[in-house]
Amino acid sequence: MISKRAFDVEFNVNNQEFMIAGKLRPQNEAEIEGLLQEIDKAAAQVRGTFFLNVKRLAYLNSIAFRALGRLIADLAKRRFDMQFVIVTSGVLGWPTRKFSSIAQQSFNVSIAEYDKDFYPGQSFLEDGGFIPILRTQTRLTWRHERGILPKHGLRAGMEIADICCGIGDFAMLMNREFSPARLLALDHSRSSLDYARKVAAEFGMTDIEYVHGDASGIMIDDNSFDFVTCRHSLQIFDRPELIVRELFRICKPGGRVYVTNEKISQCFGEPRGESITAAYAEVADLFAHFKMDLEFGPKSRRALADAGFDDIIIDSFTVANTDGKPEEFAEMVTAWEDVFINEMCRDRGDAPERVAMIQRGLQDHMKAALHPSGYAGWPVWAASGRKPS
Amino acid sequence: MCSERTGAIIEVSMRINDFSSEWMNCDRVSTFMARLVSQKSVDPMFHANLFSTALNELLEVVFFNHGPQGSFTCRVGRVGDVETIEIELPYDEKTLNFYTDVLKTLDRPDVEELYQASLFEAGQVDARLGLLELAVDYKAKMSVLVAADQLTLRAEIALGWVQ
Ligand SMILES: C[S@@+](CC[C@H](N)C(=O)[O-])C[C@H]1O[C@@H](n2cnc3c(N)ncnc32)[C@H](O)[C@@H]1O
Repeated sequence: MISKRAFDVEFNVNNQEFMIAGKLRPQNEAEIEGLLQEIDKAAAQVRGTFFLNVKRLAYLNSIAFRALGRLIADLAKRRFDMQFVIVTSGVLGWPTRKFSSIAQQSFNVSIAEYDKDFYPGQSFLEDGGFIPILRTQTRLTWRHERGILPKHGLRAGMEIADICCGIGDFAMLMNREFSPARLLALDHSRSSLDYARKVAAEFGMTDIEYVHGDASGIMIDDNSFDFVTCRHSLQIFDRPELIVRELFRICKPGGRVYVTNEKISQCFGEPRGESITAAYAEVADLFAHFKMDLEFGPKSRRALADAGFDDIIIDSFTVANTDGKPEEFAEMVTAWEDVFINEMCRDRGDAPERVAMIQRGLQDHMKAALHPSGYAGWPVWAASGRKPS
Repeated sequence: MCSERTGAIIEVSMRINDFSSEWMNCDRVSTFMARLVSQKSVDPMFHANLFSTALNELLEVVFFNHGPQGSFTCRVGRVGDVETIEIELPYDEKTLNFYTDVLKTLDRPDVEELYQASLFEAGQVDARLGLLELAVDYKAKMSVLVAADQLTLRAEIALGWVQ
């Protein structure tokens, strides 16, 4: 018998989406007859497009696959006025390829690989250009975060997951400072993970598990970690609630989820404050064009509350040129300038005057940082919540 | 033993009747072995998931097709980039015919169409489905070695290409 717990299903009528997660390895088709009927019933309530979300379906044997495939083909034939979209994830090696064979059977069935098709800003974040940004940012935020993390519940000996870990430097710092019992770091960018693994190996850290994954469908069991972090990332998704839901799910009851986000328009500097402020307002707008909300910081509290967390704590801190060496701050802004101007403005097709105005403001920010009596800052919001026991 | 050929990493043995007394054994054995053989790979979760998916199909076929008495051994290993799986099982005439017939089928040029047909055509599940899947979807190389009282089903799969 397949145990009741081996798979979960959820039908969201508003999104017209039926989700199957977990493991489907029945001995015969009769064992999953109930599931097939539920899908059939759900599809009957939908008009237009029916989404079958299998992003977190980790295991599927050929007996179940055959049954699902035939059901979908049959539905597609009966409801030829509708579209059927199977939402897969590229994180596992088999689903997209396998489900494509179902799509080939019917004109109104198609596959959407969630991680590829739904994240408009992903191309900027996943290739190499972002690595210098992440590296300098984390170096600067750590001075603040190291002190506030215990207040948000981080202790030595915990099981920790860092979701959207980027190049893994924050994971390495936590590993060094908080000696976790387990530390898993997940990201969707293979190049960032390769970089992370290389750096960790150079430092002789072999105990961090770097995992390729999709934060909106994490292949990890419910209630797995004491402390789950997700830094500077809710702000890059057009539907951050999907990520928060996953952070909540993998966190143990009584454990905490810690997120940091920016409100980029609040970057400041003197001298030349006006030029700096004007440029960062434009930067917020630039990210919004690619469906990323770099103004998310203060919204973190609400996002955690809506997901069901309690005991929510929110802080903000300002990374400033006066924290340490001003050159480091300037280096971070240089890395920003490179991606904002050379990739994002270009891809948006900005007029030269607009690009020049943003570039001038960023350069003024650097000058403010390096000015002997200048003051330049980048505010960050850190929030955490407890998953109710 | 054929440990050089299999690059054996680990094996699990039990009586075939114990193995086939519970369906979940296929899942348990494939999950357990996949986790162990994947520990050292760059992305252990990715590798374990794929390995378990392939191994489970083989085990499910063996669950339904084996001789009445004897021992069951599942051995997995790696030679270069190729994963090797060997399953030793007791056989009778029916079992032997089943496996030798399937292997012949896998060599046919229309094996892909056969696989599609067994997936999408009405009727009972084709007992060969799991092996067809391995051959077509995983490009597994499969063979059968026959000894006096045991038959060895062997699969070689290069999982690297999937990534
Ligand atoms: C702004 S970076 C933050 C990285 C890191 N937390 C830090 O603060 O340095 C956002 C990260 O999210 C990752 N990402 C994008 N889409 C993702 C997805 N669907 N699942 C997991 N990570 C994703 C990107 O590859 C990138 O590394």
